[in-house]
Amino acid sequence: MFSDELKAFRRLGFRHFLLQILNFASVIASGLMLWKGLGLILNTESPIVVVLSGSMEPAFYRGDLLFLTNPPGQRYHTGDITVYRIPGAEIPIVHRVLETRDVVIPFDNSTENRLKLPPGEHQLMLTKGDNNHVDDIDLYQGLEWLDRRHIIGKVRGFLPYIGYVTIAMNDFPQLKYALLGGLGLLAIIQRE
Amino acid sequence: MAPRKNAKELPPAPSTLVRRPSSVGSPLPGPLSISIPPEERDVIKVNNYSATELKNACDDALKRYLSRPVLFKQIHLHTDVRLAFGWAGVFTAAATGLYGWKTDFEKSKPGVWAGFILYLVLTSLQTLYSYFVEGDTVFVGRRKTFSKRIITERITISSRTLPVPSSKLSLKPSPTNSPSYSLSINYVQSTSGGKSLLAKGRTQEAKEYSAFFDEKGVMAQEVFERWIGELVEAVMEGKGA
Repeated sequence: MFSDELKAFRRLGFRHFLLQILNFASVIASGLMLWKGLGLILNTESPIVVVLSGSMEPAFYRGDLLFLTNPPGQRYHTGDITVYRIPGAEIPIVHRVLETRDVVIPFDNSTENRLKLPPGEHQLMLTKGDNNHVDDIDLYQGLEWLDRRHIIGKVRGFLPYIGYVTIAMNDFPQLKYALLGGLGLLAIIQRE
Repeated sequence: MAPRKNAKELPPAPSTLVRRPSSVGSPLPGPLSISIPPEERDVIKVNNYSATELKNACDDALKRYLSRPVLFKQIHLHTDVRLAFGWAGVFTAAATGLYGWKTDFEKSKPGVWAGFILYLVLTSLQTLYSYFVEGDTVFVGRRKTFSKRIITERITISSRTLPVPSSKLSLKPSPTNSPSYSLSINYVQSTSGGKSLLAKGRTQEAKEYSAFFDEKGVMAQEVFERWIGELVEAVMEGKGA
């Protein structure tokens, strides 16, 4: 089935082979850089996340795609929907902010450090899912409050149902490899 | 081997020629003087309706025809620059991705910014080079011959697909309304390290793809090679010289 293509390859030489592999690799590289660049510009680790559980219904359902930003100086208010990850937990959680505390004076009592901190940078937060009965204290793994450094971002927009593609690829890894393999084959055989 | 006289009429094409009187003894071998035995040929079959595939098949045939050992040696500079920029970009992207994955987000920010900017720079350099420096060039070749002194010839060929002229447009596919393959050839012959110019030639000609590909998409390689050979020899010798 591939004999024509193999013959073509042998005819065209090694540089051509490198060029075709480069086509495929640069597609992957540009996707990766787009993702990382978006994360840098929006100041968040993961600018697009997928909702996995139903704890925010009726606002977000499982399979929704969420767009996050995390502007460093801005305060988070009660009612904002945030995505956070506790160190030690592997998946991030999407819940709404219930209470906030602003830390403007640092905790240690040394006299030199009596400067006021900017309001947004050291907030403490308590969250709760819309569809849950209790707040998230049990999920904090011993912490009493969420710190700003645990927050990945604030939800700015969403797209329904698109996230099911990612859920399917995570539940069936063969789908992911099949897709990647198919893309690679297509990139190597076609010429632009 | 006698130099070819222009007995066949070449179609009218714009070409400029500069020729200085040279004392080269024997004429340099042109592409038509070396023939390929039929057994060494592979059948080339492409999709007739895709202009990209037609152009790629013609470009590949051109490269194979002119890179035979007695003829020109292909200079791969454009390809190598594109490969270098491209693979450097891929490796910076991979390194940045790995670094960002292993380190904390806040700590990794300067490193990821550096990698991101480097990737953008490499990609834009590659694009600019492809667009401005490489352009339409498909073949750059060089040949050194040692007759009385070292003669260096350099040939640069660029190709384009010309679409069907609007006067001939019709819905029925036929040999007359097919897109054309347009070649521009630039030829320089010099000696003593490129310091003294012996001959220079330039020509441009277009021919319909239907002259080289039949209705099944099989390429008539001898017809194509004869056309290329005539063009290259014309530019090497000088028309009417």
